[in-house]
Amino acid sequence: MAALTSEAEEKLQPDAITGPLLEGKDITVTFGRGAEAFDAVRAANVTVDGGEAVGIVGESGSGKTTLARTLVGLQRPSAGEVRLEGQKVFSAAAEQGMPRSERWKTQMIFQDPYSSLNPRMRVWQAVAEAVQVWQELPGAEARVEALRLLNSMGISDDQARQFPKSLSGGQRQRVSVARALAPNPKVLIADEPTSSIDQSAQAQLLNLLRRLQAERGLAIIFISHDLGLVRYLTSRVYVMQTGDIVETGKTQAVLERPQHAYTRLLIDSIPGR
Amino acid sequence: MTDLCISFHKGGGRKLPVIDAANLSLDQRQAVGIVGESGSGKTMLCRALIGTLPRHGAETVSGTVHFDGQELAGASERVWRGIRGREIGYIPQSSLAGLNPVLTVETQLVESITAVGSLSRQEARQEAFALLERVQIPRAQQVLKARAHQLSGGMRQRVMIAAAIAQGPKLLIADEPTTALDVTIQREILSLITQLRQELNMALILVSHDLAVIEEVCDNVMVMYAGASVEAGPVEALSKAPRHPYTRALRVSRVDRAVPGQDLEAIPGDAASVGSWPAGCRFWPRCALADDDCRRDPQPALMPTAQQLSACIHPERIPELEL
Repeated sequence: MAALTSEAEEKLQPDAITGPLLEGKDITVTFGRGAEAFDAVRAANVTVDGGEAVGIVGESGSGKTTLARTLVGLQRPSAGEVRLEGQKVFSAAAEQGMPRSERWKTQMIFQDPYSSLNPRMRVWQAVAEAVQVWQELPGAEARVEALRLLNSMGISDDQARQFPKSLSGGQRQRVSVARALAPNPKVLIADEPTSSIDQSAQAQLLNLLRRLQAERGLAIIFISHDLGLVRYLTSRVYVMQTGDIVETGKTQAVLERPQHAYTRLLIDSIPGR
Repeated sequence: MTDLCISFHKGGGRKLPVIDAANLSLDQRQAVGIVGESGSGKTMLCRALIGTLPRHGAETVSGTVHFDGQELAGASERVWRGIRGREIGYIPQSSLAGLNPVLTVETQLVESITAVGSLSRQEARQEAFALLERVQIPRAQQVLKARAHQLSGGMRQRVMIAAAIAQGPKLLIADEPTTALDVTIQREILSLITQLRQELNMALILVSHDLAVIEEVCDNVMVMYAGASVEAGPVEALSKAPRHPYTRALRVSRVDRAVPGQDLEAIPGDAASVGSWPAGCRFWPRCALADDDCRRDPQPALMPTAQQLSACIHPERIPELEL
């Protein structure tokens, strides 16, 4: 696969920002009203530094996806705020969503790449569209840039001419990474990126994501229930259970000496233990 | 099961092979796992074992399936009605799709139970309650009156297991029974299946894409790649010294054994998809050990090696695993 280089590389290097690149402060997300109301996320504090790989671990219903959606501006918090490079960019009080001038900095890829790609758009078109939106390039140049991004993800020009249905799950997920990279984001949030793809394709995707982080200084938040993946890719981890962050710390320390009973249960549940 | 071949029907009498060299054997009370990727044919194999291929537009083209002295390949629907559920229980891949959304759990369980025909409705209801207790469902009386959407994924899977064992089958087939479940629930379901297998003296076929799940539950494992059995043998042998490059690749590409900061040993390329299998060994385009012999038809058959069977023609070239 082609090396991941571009002129935008410098832009991605963590610069002189003091404090975290991305911060969620006291984030609470409440769904429903009155007696039906429940907190999907309760007073969560999360920080991500430039170039850092952070994990959010938990089971379904733990609030990890809701928290991530809030961090990228897809879900308005009921309380608390999201800060990017020290600036408040999104909060419960925000009348509109996260401003466009900030949104490009955080991009997200999802569990099922098939449902996040337009089935009637050729693969290169799906990426070129994002390039046009974010880089404001004319059509022909957007196409060249789209193919460059796809090639760097190991998708050939030939595959780029196909529709998403002709690609394997692993290929589709690499397409969605290429699309997410179109605005040269500073943070990539990957929500269970490997759970819908075959094991032999998982390693390819994980190698790519690891290189994006290590070589381009892209900060990555991995959301997963898979502690093996989190151990391999992240240096810090948050463990979530029913809306609360119950444990956080350096990944290795948390996995070797879990302090919370729920973290221990998760570790003991890994098949093969 | 010997040299089983299964094809889909395409228009104009043409056929699309999905499995063309599947081999599997298991003794009474034994547990065997089938591992493979999507499109490798594991679900079609399960359907061949419960006689539902025709419903999915496919048929057994050749090969044999011996079950307890009976030949099942190409058996009539009448024969299958005596086997399905009674002799061979089945837990499908999606437990949500497996339950009827408008009927209560009780109605559906009673249906499975009375299919045998010897019990009254009242007895069947009592039996349904006993089954739910057997699969360790708390508040079984309430769950009997519930419908599928009111139950969690783990609960629904327990109900599916209850239905599958309702008639006391000799063999239980579980197709990815924990795929959509959280790890803690997965652990509970796997323990339950293991426990039931011992209590009821059942044999088990567990299909999974996760080798670790199979290693935890099964004695033997069969690895499928692109419609063919490529390696089979005791779980221990395949995990310590795989004799097929694909099995080895599945083990070394696993993230839980990787060193942080180092690349994973990924399998290059993509899995061969149905309809575009390469000539010769189907794994050769992704195999670093392949030579001209590997590219020659047919797909190699399983041959004995030290402790297992492998379809690789160069098993001696496979590097040892670093454990």
